[in-house]
Amino acid sequence: MYIGVDVGGTCTDAVLLDKGQVKATAKVPTRADLLSSLLEALDVIMKGTPAELIKRVVLSTTMITNLIAERKFDPVGLILIPGPGLNHDYYRYDTDTHIISGVIDYRGREIVALNEAEVDLAIDKLAVAGYKKVAVVGKFSMRNNAHENHVASVIKGKYPGWQVEIGHKVAGQLNFPRRVVSAMLTCATRDKYEFFVDSVLTALDQRGIKTSVFILKADGGTLPLATSKEVPIETIYSGPAASTLGVQALIPPGETAVVVDIGGTTTDLALILSGQPLLARKGAKVYDQRTQVRALAVKSVPVGGDSVVERAGKEIIVYSERLGSPYCLGGPMPTPTDALRVMGLTNLGDIDKAREAMNLLGDPLGIRPVEVAARIIELVVETITNEIDQMYIRWEKNPAYRVWEVLQKKKVRPKTIVGVGGNAPGFVSQIAARMGCYPVIPPYFMVANAIGAAVSRPTLQVNLRADTERGIYSIQEEGYQGTIKDRHFNEEKALSLAKEWLARRSEKYGLQDDLGEVEVTRKEVFNMVRDWVTSGKLIDISVQTKRGILHYIGTGVNCSGD
Amino acid sequence: MGIKKTGLIFFPAFDWAISPTHPEREERLLYTRDQIFEEGVVDLPEIEEFSPRLATIHDIARTHFCIPRVQSQVTEAHLIASGAAMLLGDRIVSGELNNGFAMVRPPGHHAMRVVHGNRGFCNINNEAIMVEYLRRKHGIKKLAIVDSDVHHGDGTQEIFYHDPDVLFISFHQDGRTIFPGTGFTHELGGPNAYAKTINIPLPPGTTDETFHYVLDHLIMPILNDFKPDFLINSAGQDNHYTDPLGSMLFTAQGYADFTRKLNPHMAVLEGGYAIETALPYLNLAILMALAGQDYSYVREPDYRPGMFKERPEKVEQVHKMVESLLDVWAKKDEFDREKLFGSGKFYQRKKNIYYDTDYIEEEQLEKVRQCDQCPGYMIIESGANRGYGALIRVLAVSIPFTACPDCQTEAYEVYEQGKIEKKQFDYIYMQDKSTDTYLAYERNKDQEWVSEGPKPEV
Ligand SMILES: [Zn+2]
Ligand SMILES: [Zn+2]
Repeated sequence: MYIGVDVGGTCTDAVLLDKGQVKATAKVPTRADLLSSLLEALDVIMKGTPAELIKRVVLSTTMITNLIAERKFDPVGLILIPGPGLNHDYYRYDTDTHIISGVIDYRGREIVALNEAEVDLAIDKLAVAGYKKVAVVGKFSMRNNAHENHVASVIKGKYPGWQVEIGHKVAGQLNFPRRVVSAMLTCATRDKYEFFVDSVLTALDQRGIKTSVFILKADGGTLPLATSKEVPIETIYSGPAASTLGVQALIPPGETAVVVDIGGTTTDLALILSGQPLLARKGAKVYDQRTQVRALAVKSVPVGGDSVVERAGKEIIVYSERLGSPYCLGGPMPTPTDALRVMGLTNLGDIDKAREAMNLLGDPLGIRPVEVAARIIELVVETITNEIDQMYIRWEKNPAYRVWEVLQKKKVRPKTIVGVGGNAPGFVSQIAARMGCYPVIPPYFMVANAIGAAVSRPTLQVNLRADTERGIYSIQEEGYQGTIKDRHFNEEKALSLAKEWLARRSEKYGLQDDLGEVEVTRKEVFNMVRDWVTSGKLIDISVQTKRGILHYIGTGVNCSGD
Repeated sequence: MGIKKTGLIFFPAFDWAISPTHPEREERLLYTRDQIFEEGVVDLPEIEEFSPRLATIHDIARTHFCIPRVQSQVTEAHLIASGAAMLLGDRIVSGELNNGFAMVRPPGHHAMRVVHGNRGFCNINNEAIMVEYLRRKHGIKKLAIVDSDVHHGDGTQEIFYHDPDVLFISFHQDGRTIFPGTGFTHELGGPNAYAKTINIPLPPGTTDETFHYVLDHLIMPILNDFKPDFLINSAGQDNHYTDPLGSMLFTAQGYADFTRKLNPHMAVLEGGYAIETALPYLNLAILMALAGQDYSYVREPDYRPGMFKERPEKVEQVHKMVESLLDVWAKKDEFDREKLFGSGKFYQRKKNIYYDTDYIEEEQLEKVRQCDQCPGYMIIESGANRGYGALIRVLAVSIPFTACPDCQTEAYEVYEQGKIEKKQFDYIYMQDKSTDTYLAYERNKDQEWVSEGPKPEV
């Protein structure tokens, strides 16, 4: 049996799955102590089920998102090695930032060496300022990590107790500013996250759950909870990823659909294209800070069932804030939920209170409660449908760098709008009507997120880059740099080398049984020509364990690989 | 809301090459991609990246006579490169974008009006196709193109040679020392577009300093006088000091300063073959200059201030050329038309055009109607020998956007007559920009095609 738990902003949801059937569900409020909410939900669904039967537990949590939002962490100092390019004034962060000399180019060649005196000075200044956490990040460090590694080792030599993160280990894609942010946030959250992970593992152990425990990542894959300590920020936005996977499990395989998860204060939108959730082209943005974290393309719209509705002159306006529960549930202000109640689209709360809320807004304008309610729902629906349109436009605008990519671009418009989350039923049919789609409210829509967590599966990636002219290769995820001795090294050999590293990584994470089919997600080979003669090849290969989910719910379809 | 952005279309055509080891190959923009992506500039709020779209056959036919047909001269990569420029052009004209950079390949500035094959790595002219599109679609009246490639932009020059509404300025390495061997100061445009072509040949070894002297004292004053509604930079980068094809000494900073001062609506990438030592830095610097960002920290790895010196006598030579071209521009409306172009009904010139990539030799007779009501229609007779097989001979008629009724009528008579009487031509073409109608007649099959778009009214 599989367990999925989503510790969300307001609710913690849990499900117990057995061969694609939902055996138990739980919904409890999320309290400040995330662990206690998690355990409470877990205890509800585990009632009567022996712990030994649990094969896998997958969590998703707002833990890291909360930490970052509330800035509950020690300051992180930065040592950056940006070299030429953008003016260094662009690298201004809300912390002490020291920029030192040293240049690595796009092929990983050292153009300018580090200046030891500058390295020492930067470290000493951070020490004087009281920093004990440092992120060291260089431009093109994933092509050559020597500079980052050297600075880190100097720090370790001087201050063994400091926590040091190096850019290429955290964020190996091209994009230096995002690498800086990713490294900084990793450094900031790591110790608190470690503490959380250890508490969860201890608590599960006390309940007799000795099986493997995973955490959901923003891209919809999972990592063993213990190893996720290395990459805490990969777990941001695991909530929206959970809902999207949940819908993927609740609709027929291969379907194309828009996922609309309407919560109390936000509505999350995602796309499932031919059965696969769409990945964002760029890394996730955390409170305006751009990271390199691979994530599903989820758009959060600040409107939900608890959003405050007010009258301004003759206008009725839905605000993005929440000031408590809906009026019909004893809250202070009218909300879209009150409108739904008046229109008979929900059974939540007290109908008289809901009407009263509509009267508060409508009386001065001489509009009847039903009309006020209709207008509020209209406003919410309009906001959401506009955002869905924008999401398509963004997706179609994704750049293409090859002729075939441009040619295969076509307009895809899903026919199905799937609503999940507590407030979905009241809105989804109208959203669908407006977009000319079919509305679907799947069974278990209230706990789709927990189902998504339960059916998610481990994903591991390996990005290999080989430069045969220079006789070197690197494995992005491991920060490994090796040499190529084989004079006949080519694309096929690069691919088997990448697969070898993927297998090695799977073993390292105890996931060798999950390796299964390997997907090649990128294969680029460039001939390097100098003076009309081919002098070498640049080979970029990305391989990953198969993406997807373990089960479709209620269909009895058991996916391969398990 | 907010700031107006710089639009970027980066289309490196990672799956297109002329041949595997040709300078115009897949690898050309690879390191540029690495640099641009690693800098993270596309995340800047001032820059927005777009996906390219394809130009249509109709868009190509508006600019070129492709022999025998558009489809036989262009690949999808060409349609994407032109389409990218058009897409950015649309958004700039509509006011959505402040300016744009089509960082695309394949390049186009050596492609002329008649296209028998590939010359100077180009098949079709991305800038010219955009210009004709912007005029047709948005009714833009006056445009200017400044070509900063080390090679003379002979294709662009040829296409607009008789067009008074398109100012073409090219500075480049002296044609006596580099392909295509043209672009001298006396090439100034046809009778109806005199001084709307300006060539500034520079001696090999010219540095940023002289480059900017020419910009400040000649190019900018002419542009300020002409006042184009839309300004395009054919942003070739082979004037760089590390370029393997050119012998000039421009730097990334020099190019970026040029872009900032010129402040074009659009930059379209042309040549530039120092793919490692120049292009990553140049493209980054030009993009940042367009977006109004500080590019002062962009430096080539081996660049040291003061590393280039020019010979004073060469500098003096350039200053003199600037003087005389300024004089030409000042007196552009007073030239002796009869003395320069004769008094015949048509002004005509003979051209021999060599397609270096495809080894084709073309002989061309170009006639333009000396009309005082409009820029005049053109009749082109062209024969090309591919070195094997038979000579292909074509007759092509082109009607300008602002043609007068007489020129329109006459031009159609020439076309119809050609179909019936001029048996020596294998293909006969009509390019009517005034009604956006493009026709082609194949004698062998006795068949006529109309490109998509509005059909001619009978
Ligand atoms: Zn060139
Ligand atoms: Zn006329």
